[in-house]
Amino acid sequence: MDVTNIPQTPDTLAALWKIQKIIFNTLDFEQVVQKIVDSIAIELDFLKLGYRIIVLALVDEKEGVMKRISMSQTPAAEATMGAGKMTFDQIVIPLTAENNLCIRSYKDKEPKVVLDWKDILTPPMTEEEARRLQTISGVKNSIVFPVLDGELCIGVMIFSLEKDVSEMSEDEKNLIQSFTDIVSLAIHDANLYSNLKSTSKKLDEANKKLKELDKLKDEFVSLASHELRTPMTAVKSYTWLVLNNKSGEITPKTREHLEKVYNSTERLIHLVNEMLDISRIEGGRVQLKLEALDLVQLAREVKDEFAPRASEQNLVMEIETDGKISPAAGDRDKIHQVLVNLVGNSFKFTQSGGRVSISVRLKDNMVEVGIEDTGIGIAKEDQERIFQKFGRVEGSLVISKIGGTGLGLYLSKQYIEMHGGKIWFESEPGKGSTFTFSLPLYTGN
Amino acid sequence: MDENLKKRILIIEDDEYLRDLYMEILTAEGFMVDQAVDGEEGYQAVTRGGYDLVLLDIMLPKKDGIAILRDLAQNPPEGKNKVIVVLSNLGQESVIAEAVKLGARGYMIKSEMTPEQTVNEVKRYLAEST
Repeated sequence: MDVTNIPQTPDTLAALWKIQKIIFNTLDFEQVVQKIVDSIAIELDFLKLGYRIIVLALVDEKEGVMKRISMSQTPAAEATMGAGKMTFDQIVIPLTAENNLCIRSYKDKEPKVVLDWKDILTPPMTEEEARRLQTISGVKNSIVFPVLDGELCIGVMIFSLEKDVSEMSEDEKNLIQSFTDIVSLAIHDANLYSNLKSTSKKLDEANKKLKELDKLKDEFVSLASHELRTPMTAVKSYTWLVLNNKSGEITPKTREHLEKVYNSTERLIHLVNEMLDISRIEGGRVQLKLEALDLVQLAREVKDEFAPRASEQNLVMEIETDGKISPAAGDRDKIHQVLVNLVGNSFKFTQSGGRVSISVRLKDNMVEVGIEDTGIGIAKEDQERIFQKFGRVEGSLVISKIGGTGLGLYLSKQYIEMHGGKIWFESEPGKGSTFTFSLPLYTGN
Repeated sequence: MDENLKKRILIIEDDEYLRDLYMEILTAEGFMVDQAVDGEEGYQAVTRGGYDLVLLDIMLPKKDGIAILRDLAQNPPEGKNKVIVVLSNLGQESVIAEAVKLGARGYMIKSEMTPEQTVNEVKRYLAEST
């Protein structure tokens, strides 16, 4: 806006300032366009310059028309519209109507003086109707100003006077021009805002739908997992009965085969459980039950659980700790699940004669639990993907050694981070891996 | 074994194979076992009462396990049952909490148990109740 052209009287400056304020206080498009015409009318009335009606009309490029957007709520305007055969928003002018001075002003980007309303209201009105309304309104002349948004003309403002245009001073014309400049700014911002608002509304709706879908997905996963577990329980249980000679003696080969059936069923059940856990985590439906958790004690329990496997696989299991370890703030079931998962991985990848040790230490006001093994380690190229969903290690030899689902580490990471802790690893292929997680100390809150 | 002969257990389970499984492993231990194939049949049996242990599934045709527990809590049967334990594959914490609130003594997830573990748990619950 070129401020140097504004008439430098306190009143006109105040009027401009007030109108600018509207722009900053109102962002909704509908409100802005109404406030613009009303405040300009009020300000002009205050300046006693003899303005009766102020109209804002904007171009709709898509439809190729200029539409009346807002009209000042002045007595003359209301009387005129009350007498008219058309409603305000029916006054739509095609951009091809080159004789209409609104369209001319828009195309030439110049103000136009209107002596006869037929020049701004036809089409769509008839000449007679236009003149009849002009008489009712008491308007002598109108002046049409283009509303410019930079180089682009977006519409016009129509100022209708009870006086002759020749009675308008240069200062007055400049003031009107300044109003029109502010208008384009206001419309620009309000348009952006309204677009933003409608986009944000659409996003809200989409988000709501996604939440509903997520709930359905969660219900589906819950029910599906139940439905899947039932036949898997039957397979597991009957296989167990046969393996335990409840249906008579079986041959060593049958036993070998049925052990594979049994282990595979266990893996399936485990997979279903993990998928259910992930669905709950991702749906934000997991709530931790924090307690003062003695991690040394928990490590001992896990060691006991793995004792049969340790002797079966000929692995040494140890617990390392220095001194007394303060309790961590942890959900017992979840941390137990993480420990079982990490120790289970170590067991999978450590050959006979190896070692798996759990260390519990205090470091930087956190309890750190490390699970170290002398296993095959993780190849450099696989290290990045290790905590990803199904991001399990792939490699020519490694893949055949891996059971599991590739969900365990992802789940562990989610659980540890929910506690405000961290999980990481160090690994050297051929020498072994150490997975470490940290948990905050229990403070009683 | 002799003690077991006097113990009455009710299984409310809609899956035929699992019903057969629990019948088989529990009768092998010498228990007297009744079975119900859906929620309504189960509720009728349980209101007649007199069981030392009821193994109750949650997702059932006609009447679910939670509704059975709720009705029992509101209208306790005359011939009371000693212990009701949920044996289900529905593992949601909220469902478990609801069942326990409504009077279930314990909650077992079927798929997590071997037949041996199920039998041991049944014995443990029965020992607790005597």
